[in-house]
Amino acid sequence: MLKDLGTPTTRSAFRSAGETPLRSAGTPRDVRRRRTVLVLVILACFTLIVLDARRSAGSPVEPLREAAAGVFGPLESTATSARQPVDNLRDRFAEMDRLKAENEKLKKDNEDLTRELTTSDYARNRAQELDKLLKVAPAYTMTPARVIGIGGAQAFSHTVTIDAGTADGVRTDMTVLNGTGLVGRVVRTTQGTATVLLIGDRNSTVGGRLNASMALGFVSGRGEVGGTLDYKLIDPKARPKVGDRIVTWGSSGNAPYVPGVPIGVVTSVTANEGSLGSTATVKPYVDPTRIDTVGVVTGPPARPPRTQITGKGN
Amino acid sequence: MIALRIGLAALFLMIAVTVQTSVLTNIAVAGVTCDLTLIVVIALALSRGSEWGAIAGFVGGLMLDIVPPADHTAGRWALSLAIAGYIAGLIRRETSGSPVGPLGVALTVVLGTAVSFFLYSATGSLLHDPSVDWGEFGVRLGIAAGYDVVGAIVVIPLVMWIMGRVQPARERRRVAP
Repeated sequence: MLKDLGTPTTRSAFRSAGETPLRSAGTPRDVRRRRTVLVLVILACFTLIVLDARRSAGSPVEPLREAAAGVFGPLESTATSARQPVDNLRDRFAEMDRLKAENEKLKKDNEDLTRELTTSDYARNRAQELDKLLKVAPAYTMTPARVIGIGGAQAFSHTVTIDAGTADGVRTDMTVLNGTGLVGRVVRTTQGTATVLLIGDRNSTVGGRLNASMALGFVSGRGEVGGTLDYKLIDPKARPKVGDRIVTWGSSGNAPYVPGVPIGVVTSVTANEGSLGSTATVKPYVDPTRIDTVGVVTGPPARPPRTQITGKGN
Repeated sequence: MIALRIGLAALFLMIAVTVQTSVLTNIAVAGVTCDLTLIVVIALALSRGSEWGAIAGFVGGLMLDIVPPADHTAGRWALSLAIAGYIAGLIRRETSGSPVGPLGVALTVVLGTAVSFFLYSATGSLLHDPSVDWGEFGVRLGIAAGYDVVGAIVVIPLVMWIMGRVQPARERRRVAP
């Protein structure tokens, strides 16, 4: 099809009889040159893809990425600081919706509180349990950072750029979290920026522990915009319940995930078709479209105090 | 003059990539952002022709591939935008008797969005990238095309006007008799 468009004969068929040729874009020499450019560009693209596709051997595109991050990191940082007017605009549009949603939420909260008042013992026990669990998680040394770039849904990947890099002690496979829960892990770093893979990405899998029963499982991203997650338990007989909370169970050496960070809450459970066990849908605590300030766990967590137990040994 | 044009084009592309990754994502519709880089590539192709479209698409796409937070195989956006830019340049040449009308520009943008998004997803599938989700393809393409047309209304006349200002005098005479 491209060939047809390029030949001068088809061109003249498009033109009416009285019209004079206005530019010499149709001469065979120009057509040849144009196609040469196209072929060269496509070849360059394929070369790049082939070179970068085998990641294991260390991609030659890596220095390019470093350079690009060096140039665009500060630019993105500046642009993010200058986005105040954009934010204001969005907020104004969102205000009505927000007020309505808040009203709904307050009504619901009111009902919940009334109900909770009647079942306060149960709730208090549960809160205590949660508190205990949170205390198990040691305190981490964190480096605060701001999100300066977000990938669009067109690229299918859920990644963000933060403005802290190797210069701030950020390395790959570090946990990233914010005040409400787990955000993701660092997959790529440069001098001044780092790329974070969000837990909602299809490439992401996190070990998650059910708060209620301490059962272990895996949380994987669905690639949806809202960041919805799937949760599969290791033990096929255990069943998660709606409303159960999930926290990370941590990886060996605390990389990429440190233990005890809240991930999300179970919203629905469906039985797996054709196999044992069930899959739960998890709503993450962190809204992936609204993350701004995050913390990167840079320091080794303070070791939880372990008192030695001495037995008589009878 | 040529150096000035190339410099301007590079500047446009850099601004587009920066704004697309850090500002426009905050006003994304259902997660889909406005493809500002694609719009600038199409504007350059419409004002300078297929060769410019292909090369500008390659450079702009390469920047999208390597600028953080990109985490996919480099070269995928470069290929998609280069071909979209080349096709946009061909459309311009077919109607070179008169400047491309607003409807023509809008259709070119929709076509460019479809071509680039399809190529990006297809290369992802070929490379076994698990994040590519063809079930979401149609919805995201629809939103992206609409959003891009809205962005193009502002950006394309601006870029084409500036590029027209730095055209050499003899060419301007030939285009506008």
